[in-house]
Amino acid sequence: MAAIRFSHVGKTYPDGHVAVKDLNLEIEDGEFLVLVGPSGCGKSTALRMIAGLEAITEGVLLIDGAVANRLSPRQRDVAMIFQSYALYPHLSVAENLGFALRVRKEPRALVEARVGETAAMLELQALLARRPGQLSGGQRQRVAMGRALVRHPQAFLMDEPLSNLDARLRGQMRVEIARLQRAAGVTTVYVTHDQVEAMTMADRVAVMRDGVLQQLGAPRELYDHPVNLFVAGFIGAPPLNLLSGALRSIGQGIELELPGARVLLPQRLAQSAALLAYRDREIIVGVRPEAVLLTDKRQDGLSGVVAFQEDLGANMVTTIELTGGARRDGLIVEDLGESSVPRPSNRMRINAQTGARRTGYQLVGVELDLERLHFFDPASKLAIL
Amino acid sequence: MPDRAGFALLARRAAILAVLAVALAPVVWLFSIAYKPTSDIFASPPQLLFSPTWDNFASVFRYFNLWALLESSFIIAAGSTLLSLLIGTPAGYALARAQSPRAVWLAYFFLVIRTVPPVATLIPFYLAMRDIGLLGTWWAVIILNTALNSAFVVWMMFSYFRAAPASIEEAALTDGCTDFGAFIRIALPTVGSGLIASAIFCVMFSWNDFLYAMFLTKADTKTISVALLSAYGTKDISWGTLGALAHFSTLPIVVMMIVLNRYFVQGLTRGVH
Repeated sequence: MAAIRFSHVGKTYPDGHVAVKDLNLEIEDGEFLVLVGPSGCGKSTALRMIAGLEAITEGVLLIDGAVANRLSPRQRDVAMIFQSYALYPHLSVAENLGFALRVRKEPRALVEARVGETAAMLELQALLARRPGQLSGGQRQRVAMGRALVRHPQAFLMDEPLSNLDARLRGQMRVEIARLQRAAGVTTVYVTHDQVEAMTMADRVAVMRDGVLQQLGAPRELYDHPVNLFVAGFIGAPPLNLLSGALRSIGQGIELELPGARVLLPQRLAQSAALLAYRDREIIVGVRPEAVLLTDKRQDGLSGVVAFQEDLGANMVTTIELTGGARRDGLIVEDLGESSVPRPSNRMRINAQTGARRTGYQLVGVELDLERLHFFDPASKLAIL
Repeated sequence: MPDRAGFALLARRAAILAVLAVALAPVVWLFSIAYKPTSDIFASPPQLLFSPTWDNFASVFRYFNLWALLESSFIIAAGSTLLSLLIGTPAGYALARAQSPRAVWLAYFFLVIRTVPPVATLIPFYLAMRDIGLLGTWWAVIILNTALNSAFVVWMMFSYFRAAPASIEEAALTDGCTDFGAFIRIALPTVGSGLIASAIFCVMFSWNDFLYAMFLTKADTKTISVALLSAYGTKDISWGTLGALAHFSTLPIVVMMIVLNRYFVQGLTRGVH
């Protein structure tokens, strides 16, 4: 078990492409850290740099306090789980599991004992004689897990290990991996583009975009206090709603001007120096789908028409279009590139635990939980509060 | 009365039969003359029914040291195949895993080497072998066949390794293998069919090599393909003997092809992708 530390680490390919820029990140001993971000954000490159599969072009990587930049993968004693599982196709499940131990010339009895132990833990006993080609996707995934677990390594590195599984199995394995990691207490770096995995499994999450670390923190912290619009839009499903707004002074207080309505901000927000600095300026307002209530249409409040409803059983997600904003046709959810920063619109998705079915184009009232609003600078895209 | 589909099927089969007949007629003729008395060989029209004779085989055993010829052919084919695989496989692997886009060019360059007409290289090779004292030995032919065939193996194995995922070798590296260990223990076994396909081509090229064997071997090291020429006498050509000898020079290859046919086709189609 070991702590892993990136200190000003960068990766520039010979063709000039910069995959990782000045990465500073400390992964504590025994921690489960999830690197999350859209494809091409540099998360896999960072992981492969820990494994020794990718050369580091700038900075220093420390594993257990020692500089690891030039160590070969075998000298690092880390176990990696690949997206494709990378099982050895010509070896049986038992041989796959025991491979790392045999390479290290461990005594045969120990190899057999560890393989047996791992197979029992992952319920692979019945499959030990099979080849990877004869296994289902879920079984292969478990063998890949077992191949890492069998070694008791310094760290587990997992590169999108669940992305080839169907949704149901992915949900199960998410829990299993998190449980096994807690039990083993081994430092784990887990790469995914799925923010649900990041939120549910991690001790801390590092969000990356275009090779740059955007924010590092506990899942809750990222959800409640995203530092910029990218993180705000990336973490959370359905994503954060973004509205164009402006702050107006009114007597001692501040009024928030939104499409079609004005709302008075509560005392706590009205006194915040950060927000006061934005008086009489445009801002972007973020509101989580569950921090909005659908009500009957009222005279003075925000209102909108129902555009679409998704009944998820336990939850009802309603998409509405605020009245008073500029009408937009086209897709309900804007089609942006994965790495783009989301833009404000007058559409909102509202996630309620229960909710009446609303017919299309029904006029409804919208009530925001003002204590849970997020404010962003439209120019810098950074969070104001 | 067959319908349209039936006619199409019939027509296709007839076409296949016609092509087969053209391709196989010389082979059938070559093999059949081994069983014909000299008088029947040039009978016109060719006799499909004749009383078979073993005389031609008897004269092969009488005038040729068949086992020595087969031994030479076998040693040269096996030796050059082994060396070609030993040299070409790691080279193909290195090219397949090289990051540089120039690696692909280099791989094709190796293929070009195999297309150089052997006769163009014969004289320099002959002189070189004479000067290092290998002229007339199996080694001379083994080395020259290896020079050409290993280039072919580089290209073949390059395409096989390219198609194999690099992630399993990376898994082997993180599992504690050295680069060489990952190559031997993981990369090689996954391209087993490529190794067999490459070996088939090497054996075929070397076994069928006439030119190098003709000029670089001597009486006790000559191969069966060279011996075929001995059937051409100064006064006449012993066609029956030629037919009988042809049995021994082609049967080992034919048997190999029948057994390993699957890999051969795989090797042929591999370069297409």
